[in-house]
Amino acid sequence: MAVLSIKHVNQVFGTGTARVQVLHDISFEAEPGTLSLIMGPSGSGKSTLLTIAGGLLTPTSGSVSLAGEPYSERARQERDRLRLNEIGFVLQAYHLLPYLTVADQFKLVDHIKPKTHLTSAELASLLGTLGISDLINKYPGELSGGQQQRVAIARALYPDPAVILADEPTAALDGERVATVGRLFRQLAVERNKAVVIVTHDTRLMAVADNVYQLQDGVLSANQISKSES
Amino acid sequence: MFLALREIKKEKVRSGLIVAMIALIGYLIFILTGLALGLAQQNTDAYNSWGFQNVSLSDSANVDMRQSFMTKQQVGHLSKQEAVVGQTSVVAKAKGHANSVAVLVGTKANQFVAKSIQLTSGHRSKNQYQVVADEAFKQAGYELGDQIKLNDGQHRYTIVGFTKNAKMNVAPVLYGQLSTWHGLKSSMRGIYASAVVSKNANYRNHQSGVKTYSKQTFINKLPGYTAQTMTFELMIGFLMLISLIVIAVFLYILTLQKLPNYAVLRVQGVPSRILVGATISQSLLLAVGGLLIATVLTIATALAMPAAVPMAFDLPILGSVGFGLLLMSLLGGLVPVRSVLKVDPVSVIGG
Ligand SMILES: Nc1ncnc2c1ncn2[C@@H]1O[C@H](COP(=O)(O)OP(=O)(O)OP(=O)(O)O)[C@@H](O)[C@H]1O
Ligand SMILES: [Mg+2]
Repeated sequence: MAVLSIKHVNQVFGTGTARVQVLHDISFEAEPGTLSLIMGPSGSGKSTLLTIAGGLLTPTSGSVSLAGEPYSERARQERDRLRLNEIGFVLQAYHLLPYLTVADQFKLVDHIKPKTHLTSAELASLLGTLGISDLINKYPGELSGGQQQRVAIARALYPDPAVILADEPTAALDGERVATVGRLFRQLAVERNKAVVIVTHDTRLMAVADNVYQLQDGVLSANQISKSES
Repeated sequence: MFLALREIKKEKVRSGLIVAMIALIGYLIFILTGLALGLAQQNTDAYNSWGFQNVSLSDSANVDMRQSFMTKQQVGHLSKQEAVVGQTSVVAKAKGHANSVAVLVGTKANQFVAKSIQLTSGHRSKNQYQVVADEAFKQAGYELGDQIKLNDGQHRYTIVGFTKNAKMNVAPVLYGQLSTWHGLKSSMRGIYASAVVSKNANYRNHQSGVKTYSKQTFINKLPGYTAQTMTFELMIGFLMLISLIVIAVFLYILTLQKLPNYAVLRVQGVPSRILVGATISQSLLLAVGGLLIATVLTIATALAMPAAVPMAFDLPILGSVGFGLLLMSLLGGLVPVRSVLKVDPVSVIGG
């Protein structure tokens, strides 16, 4: 069963002459153990869709369910809790708190007490895979863009969420790192049975995706390339 | 707390500036409070040291002991709880010293006022021409055995002892015998004393032309006393109000700068409670830091101040002032909470 399910979502910003419909009747499902790629040009509504999927924005119409439970209409606290435990966000502008060292970024999660989080051994191996083990005592300001992005990925994975939503997670990475991160997301889907949704215009990630969707002017294309079916 | 501590650690300069600002405000208020209390004490120290509850004065004196004159009959019957005092302003003159204004208080050696005098050196007055002087005279260069003249009289009075904290209306006290006072008031016939003071809160003097007041009424009516204390209280009050606004504005700006960070935390599912807790505990930590520095500065200043500057520190008063400042910082920290609660996580997504 789909862990994340989006049904007939429309998103309209503004009113009157400023009215823009960014998303048109979008339905989409993410299954555990699969990696879905949503591709589209800049301004096509990728980030907006991800924001709605993560429960940060209530869509103008339509519904979002997490593990079969309607999610978009829940109270804010409830959504916070679900987001903390079940959704790992990797943001386009890989924000990290500037005043926490890499180690403290994870310690903060411990302080908020999510239901679960990775053991220290699992975290160590994750940091190893991402090649950031020796950056643990540095502040984000002392890291390169790509290093920050990898820390942000590790940070999102740390509470062991069921769904991983990533917005352009490879924007600041070179080819080799893209392959590594792609493999990592792939591994998470397959080995840890996560539903991974990545929005990107980076075609290099298509190699690791199970499903590839096209988002064009707010319409999710019907002619999805489903590798598992082809 | 975790977030607050980490942020203070990383943003040392910014936190340091705010701590410094709070420290300076706290220091200013502490010193002003010390001065206010010091001045108030110089008005009342001697009276406080007697430990009386009620005082009877002639009713035409307008609650001013220096203007009060009572006959032996008006003094009436005295129990062991009562004492008579004669009080008058004098100008003390001595060779080699500038003239100084003082208050002469005549007491009877066997009554509680005379017994309440705590000598720091020398001995008590044994006759009409011996006086015990406040230490201000010592600081002005007088020594035991020095002789002074009072007003235009020809008699010489010998300083036979010194006592601490004997001040009235900001002037030092010379304690003599009741007869010393009689000697200075010899032109007024039939006058026996200025006042009767009693340790008994129920003491009333019912003689005609006499009124009895509580100690607090008497102190509040001291010339200039209420005006002075009120001036200081208002100053401190306004300072508190202004510091509230300044601290609140600083903390508000500090928080506004951090809103994007808070938005990220919201995306990650960090509950608002934690964000609000971080804001408030940060305000409190900075305020406590500032107040500690202010306390150290105040203690250093108090130690360095010359004895002539009237400054007094009272732990309960300073404690409540410090607590007031802490409360102000807390309020200042609460102002931006609304923005923290309203922070829009969507604002950091996209790009
Ligand atoms: N809060 C908003 N109010 C009005 N318009 C908005 C708002 N948020 C997004 N939009 C508009 O919606 C459209 C889609 O934005 P979105 O950020 O989802 O694009 P995107 O596909 O993520 O682009 P990019 O690849 O550049 O990140 C854009 O035209 C944008 O201007
Ligand atoms: Mg985007």
